[in-house]
Amino acid sequence: MIELEFHDPAGALEVTQPHAPRLTTLAGKKIGFVSNEQWQAFRTLPLIKSLFEKDFPDVQMLPIDAFPQGNALIGEEKTAMMVKDAGVDAVIIGNAA
Amino acid sequence: MTNAISGLGLAPDAAMITFPIGLFLPGSDIAGIEARKQEFYDGLLHWQSSHAKSAGASRMLKVEANSYEEALQRANDLAITNLWGDGLPLWPATRERVNRMLRGTPLPRTHVIGKFPPRGGITTVETCAIALAMAGGRAEYLPVLIAAVEAFLHPETNAEQLQAASGSAFPVVVVNGPIAKQIRLNSGFGCLGPDPQRPAGASIGRALRLIQQNVGGALPGIGAMANYGGMRNVNLVFAEDEDNIPEGWPPHGTEHHGFARETNSVSVFFCNGATNARRRGAKKETPEEDATQGMYRLAEFMRVPNYTNLSGYEQGTPGAILIPGVVANNMAKLGWTKPKMREFFYQHSRIPQSEIKRNGGTAWIEIDASPITRESLKLDPWPITSKPENFIVLVCGGGHPTNSFWLQGYSPRVIGKEIRVPETFEQLLTQADRDLGCGDDVCRI
Repeated sequence: MIELEFHDPAGALEVTQPHAPRLTTLAGKKIGFVSNEQWQAFRTLPLIKSLFEKDFPDVQMLPIDAFPQGNALIGEEKTAMMVKDAGVDAVIIGNAA
Repeated sequence: MTNAISGLGLAPDAAMITFPIGLFLPGSDIAGIEARKQEFYDGLLHWQSSHAKSAGASRMLKVEANSYEEALQRANDLAITNLWGDGLPLWPATRERVNRMLRGTPLPRTHVIGKFPPRGGITTVETCAIALAMAGGRAEYLPVLIAAVEAFLHPETNAEQLQAASGSAFPVVVVNGPIAKQIRLNSGFGCLGPDPQRPAGASIGRALRLIQQNVGGALPGIGAMANYGGMRNVNLVFAEDEDNIPEGWPPHGTEHHGFARETNSVSVFFCNGATNARRRGAKKETPEEDATQGMYRLAEFMRVPNYTNLSGYEQGTPGAILIPGVVANNMAKLGWTKPKMREFFYQHSRIPQSEIKRNGGTAWIEIDASPITRESLKLDPWPITSKPENFIVLVCGGGHPTNSFWLQGYSPRVIGKEIRVPETFEQLLTQADRDLGCGDDVCRI
């Protein structure tokens, strides 16, 4: 019997930070949007916002343009700080394609 | 998306709600979103990562068979089922083969070069040696591959976007210095493609592609949305033809990156197209007419709305024009230099604003992150790059004057890196002569 042993070529991954904890409820929570303004985000994100507002009347949905928009800006540290400073409980990010 | 998330150090999954591409197109029906609204609510309330805290270290795999041939087949089958293959036969990266590759570098095997985007796989010297072993490479190629990976992972290449985006970027690695000839890297006839006389380029380029895919997660349609993915089997790895660069014309590594002549170096940029351009005249042109008409033909070949490359408008490159040595020397006799050629290309590849407006380019330029790029809308005709220096002019290709080649840029930066070889490099070259026959031109058929 021939045995051939060889390296896995994929390289190791390093998980350095956990995902944000999930919310226990949406009631009374403040939710923001970060938009790249691409892929019909001008239609899809307002629809999602309206669905939340309809189904959870006491949720506070921030305006779609509350934070800088566009691919060039949404990944910046400054934008992340603005989101943090706004005191949101959760953020919805869109759209990727 | 999961690649991008793991590249940030998060577990490689996320609370995502995905829809078919049709929903994201102009005029689409977006009613399907409401039907799946519960998924949005669950994403904020109940989603949990299914991955453990760490994905673990690199491991050894084993196949068993009744014969070596069958074992080789099983190893290749395993590579395909694990999504590590490219459709061509692979050498299994055995310990012996990888250790042999590692003789090509003075660096320790555990030396970390960086995290390969977007997946974020930790890329070490050993990772490079594994890929080179799989690609059929040789130890003396490893210094070039490591330098190319260092350049690829430079923070300014924007590689995390190029690896994942739909624009089909592929890396181009240009080598300067004596190492090119030493390792049998092509700079002449057929320098962009595989060549059994000078096999280094195909192996190094294939190894780089395997790293992009296996470590960086650039899997077609999953981690990399490149619609067409051109040049992927071997990327482009070739040398400048320094023997035939006209006197007074600096080699690319010296001119663009400031390396001293004779320095072994790589220059890495990204392209999304590679095409032939007819340069020579067809009738009774004088040398001056042949040169000038050829320059106009090349400049007008470049004059296309390549908005994919707007991220490279300010500090990257609109592309590289490849000029054969025989043409470069004739043009040098007529007073042409690389800077003069770049200025010519800059001036004569401009596009009228009426055409930019007509094809919707105005909107793409307006939304660009760079103020310099946005300001360029005021220029009519519109230059395809912010300054002449961004054009790359390379002397390479066979000794034939008819055709040039245009590598169309998709490259936010052009990164140069010095190539480091081990003290025992000469031994590797001697071994290559024993294994492959004499590598000098005088030994060829």
